[in-house]
Amino acid sequence: MLIKRLLLLIPLVLVVFLLQSFFWVPTYENQAAGNPNRLVTYIEGSSGDAKILNPILNADSASANIVNHVFEGLLDLDEHLNLRGRLAVDWAITEQAYLLVNAHHRFPDGQEVNGTSLLQRLSQALQAGVLRDMPEMLQPLALLPASQRTEQVSLLKVDEKGKPHVVEVPVTVQVPERIVFSLKQVDQDLFERLIPVLGERYGDQFSYADWIHPQKAVAPEDEELLREKYPEILPVAEHNPTIVFHLRQGVKFHDGHIFDAGDVKFTYESIMNPKNLSPRTPDFEPIKTVEIIDPLTVKIVYKRLYSPAINAWTMGILPEHVLHAEALNREKQERGLSEAAQQTFGMRDSQFNRRPLGTGRFQFVEWQGDEYIHLRRFEDYWEEPAQYHEYFMRIIPDLLTQEVEFRTGAVDFYGALPHQVARYKEDPTYQSFSSLGFAYTYIGYNNRKPLFASREVRTALGMAINVQEITDFLIYGEGERITGPYPQNTEWYNPSIAPIPYDPEGAKALLAHMGWKMNAEGWLEKDGKVFEFTLITNNGNPIRKNILTIAQNAWKRIGVKVNTQVFEWAVFLNDFVNTGDFDAVVLGWSMGIDPDLYQIWHSSQSGPQQLNFVGYHNSKADELIVRIRQEYNRNRQRDLTHELHRVIAEDQPYTFLYAPLSTRVLDKKIVLVERDANGQEHYKKIFPIKSGDITFYFYKWRKLDHTPDF
Amino acid sequence: MQRVILLVIVSFMAHSIIHLAPGEPSEVDPMNPRMKPEDIAKIRAAFHLDDPLYLQYGYWIRDLFTGELKSFKDSQPVLPKIWDRFLNSLPLFVVATLLVWTWAFPTGIYGAVHRGGMYDRFTIFLAYALISIPGFFLSYLVILWVAGWLGVPVISIKTFGMDQAQPVFKMMDRVWHLVIPSLMSALGGVAILSRYVRSQMLEVLGQDYVRTARAKGLEEDTVIYRHALGNALLPFVTMFGFLLPGLIGGSVIFEQIFAWPGLGRLGYEAILSRDFPVIMTLNFMAAVLTLAGTFLSDILYAVVDPRIRLQ
Repeated sequence: MLIKRLLLLIPLVLVVFLLQSFFWVPTYENQAAGNPNRLVTYIEGSSGDAKILNPILNADSASANIVNHVFEGLLDLDEHLNLRGRLAVDWAITEQAYLLVNAHHRFPDGQEVNGTSLLQRLSQALQAGVLRDMPEMLQPLALLPASQRTEQVSLLKVDEKGKPHVVEVPVTVQVPERIVFSLKQVDQDLFERLIPVLGERYGDQFSYADWIHPQKAVAPEDEELLREKYPEILPVAEHNPTIVFHLRQGVKFHDGHIFDAGDVKFTYESIMNPKNLSPRTPDFEPIKTVEIIDPLTVKIVYKRLYSPAINAWTMGILPEHVLHAEALNREKQERGLSEAAQQTFGMRDSQFNRRPLGTGRFQFVEWQGDEYIHLRRFEDYWEEPAQYHEYFMRIIPDLLTQEVEFRTGAVDFYGALPHQVARYKEDPTYQSFSSLGFAYTYIGYNNRKPLFASREVRTALGMAINVQEITDFLIYGEGERITGPYPQNTEWYNPSIAPIPYDPEGAKALLAHMGWKMNAEGWLEKDGKVFEFTLITNNGNPIRKNILTIAQNAWKRIGVKVNTQVFEWAVFLNDFVNTGDFDAVVLGWSMGIDPDLYQIWHSSQSGPQQLNFVGYHNSKADELIVRIRQEYNRNRQRDLTHELHRVIAEDQPYTFLYAPLSTRVLDKKIVLVERDANGQEHYKKIFPIKSGDITFYFYKWRKLDHTPDF
Repeated sequence: MQRVILLVIVSFMAHSIIHLAPGEPSEVDPMNPRMKPEDIAKIRAAFHLDDPLYLQYGYWIRDLFTGELKSFKDSQPVLPKIWDRFLNSLPLFVVATLLVWTWAFPTGIYGAVHRGGMYDRFTIFLAYALISIPGFFLSYLVILWVAGWLGVPVISIKTFGMDQAQPVFKMMDRVWHLVIPSLMSALGGVAILSRYVRSQMLEVLGQDYVRTARAKGLEEDTVIYRHALGNALLPFVTMFGFLLPGLIGGSVIFEQIFAWPGLGRLGYEAILSRDFPVIMTLNFMAAVLTLAGTFLSDILYAVVDPRIRLQ
């Protein structure tokens, strides 16, 4: 019977054909052993694909990883987290400060203020040395004549449905006469130092409306918004910190084109171009002008005091010759886009983002979507080229599959979870690392709620929790106790502050002192109300979920009734955190390297959608936060951050729990290769630097054909 | 015509549901705490996120049909992106479907003919086991087993770093990489479909005309494979139509585990990053294929069943 035979034969043939392919596939052994190139190829496993390979546009970690290899910034952070020159050889920070001549003000002796008298009095005071602690001047004071400029002001309006939109208003600004100060160092207190000459409240009487004129009629409801912006458009006293970068000579892009100051200016302008929708705009917005002094010197002038701004220059520099307006124009012509699409065509749409070109140690070769990205070392790099010849980022979404590939040697590195790393601890063929990063986990209390309004109550809640228990059992000991808002491995962290002790009895006593008495059911009660609240966190993070349970249990023991709830991330943010409609949350922060905590702790940032969602208010902390971001002297800055750390630790707006250690595992055959003066190779064990990063010396990494002994 | 109206309704509903779901494209909330509300408002405006839903729907339709629809995630055109992934998913889908359909029939028929025997009981047990064991779990076991004992790569679409190999090796390598994922995704299908085949066959074997055929003195094989099987096939013909939407759906779980750069992963990641244009387009295509599939199965039914005729 033919049908019967076919029914049996077809599946068998199909399966046999499929299975025989097994004999054509190279085994893992063959791939590694028979292939000397494998030793100079580095393969990294990543769970997500990159999105956009452009340093001014990327916002995800996979893209950032590739971008950091292909592009290079003017600066980067060295082993000790200090800034180090890369495309820039060195840099100098000075200040230009301006003081408008305010004719409505009177000097302390009652005389009217005008340009010449102001200049005269200030110069005399400087020469006589009556002004205390004045910074060194680079040039004598000067009086600038009045001038005129135009600019666009963006007003953020909210329509009746609560949706925000932006209105652009062009304004003409008549700038009155100004005194200019050229200072050798940035001084945030400069204008306070001038009070003996100027008298108090110099700027109060300044009539902005005489000097700022909108070019078109402004709707009445917008006028108020515009008026609020006046002091920003024409500040009476203005600090302009200035950085001059001296660039490295002869650095080449991967196509051989020489890098120069034009590329720096171009990169800045691309970020600020509204068509490109760059997520980096806030970092570069404080810049007033970028000026090319000569092909190897750029001068950056800032609008205001903001010391973290220099860190933005660690971002990769774009090649102007590939991306300039004409090149983009050509690209959109070639793609034959419609009129509407041509209008909005920006750098975001360019194919450059899929085959980037920079000055970094590795050059781009190929990107297979959701499969891999291939880089090759750049032989003409200005420093020694990398030891690895090839670099691959393989995209393997599943962590277990990544581990299988890692075990078989098809992947050199993957983002292993703590329990996965633990499997390799005892294995002699692997080396594992655990080091502090910039993240920490905390319980945040809604400081606006009367229940948590007092610092004693928050402290007592913190005292009831055994943090040691959490780090030991939840994260396998891979965490360190912290006491405040800064990463422990930066100098901003104040090591002299002791953590609040684990002391449930003390917590009870403290709460009793605050009037909370134990009722018949064993709950704390005050004015007839039981001490009860809800602790929430986001779904998808098992560790946070477990902290929820541990905290609930710990608080139950001191008589505090806690309900717990877990929400999906978007709901968690939209309905609870962003609206401030919660009691307490378990969350974590991942911090940056700069000491600026404005967004998280300043009282002005506690509105809806803002990051000070616990509603922390402390005028002392506010003042310190502002001083820190305006301070350019690192030592003074450190003193201020230590003080801020102390203030926040005393207030306990959060119960600071721990900073998780990041854990990584590598084949032991991968080592640091160093060459001495005779060209002899030496091998060193890979180690994490202060930031916890083990890849700082990645360019020296190589895989040996044997396991070295250290 | 009815189908076109249905399509519009389906796509509009999908559009509204996706936009009503919480969460925003990651480009709008790029985790940069220093982003000012002004900047965010500008980005939202560029993506038309604040326009009324019907306008956003209009923009989407316009861009889809002019072929200029861009992904939010990387501003790349959506259609070529989907086409590339479709080509990757296609072999997996074809092989898995072939396996399901070629294996389900012999196992099901044999079970029905030898009803109650050892083989039948064993396949019933196996089928229920395969239906109840989650596919991802079995896949993990197989990956660990193949990578650990056989020492050959199993994941992704081809062995990594095989670019210099000869064409035959390259081709066979691709076939090998198809084997495990397609087998894994086919297992559940074989189990379910062979159950269907078995029960259909049992029903048909009890019919009068089968008894008549036997009474005529026909050979048992002729009775089963010509008279019974032909009639038992009817319901399966219609199932062919429903295979179509599977083309665009891909298999999220298996593509995820086996690092297969296919459509399922594209859709999954688009959902995670709220990449509305990609989600909507995939959804729209699935709707089109579903409607086409039902249409196709109606026609097929009419072709094979003489009792039904198209009016």
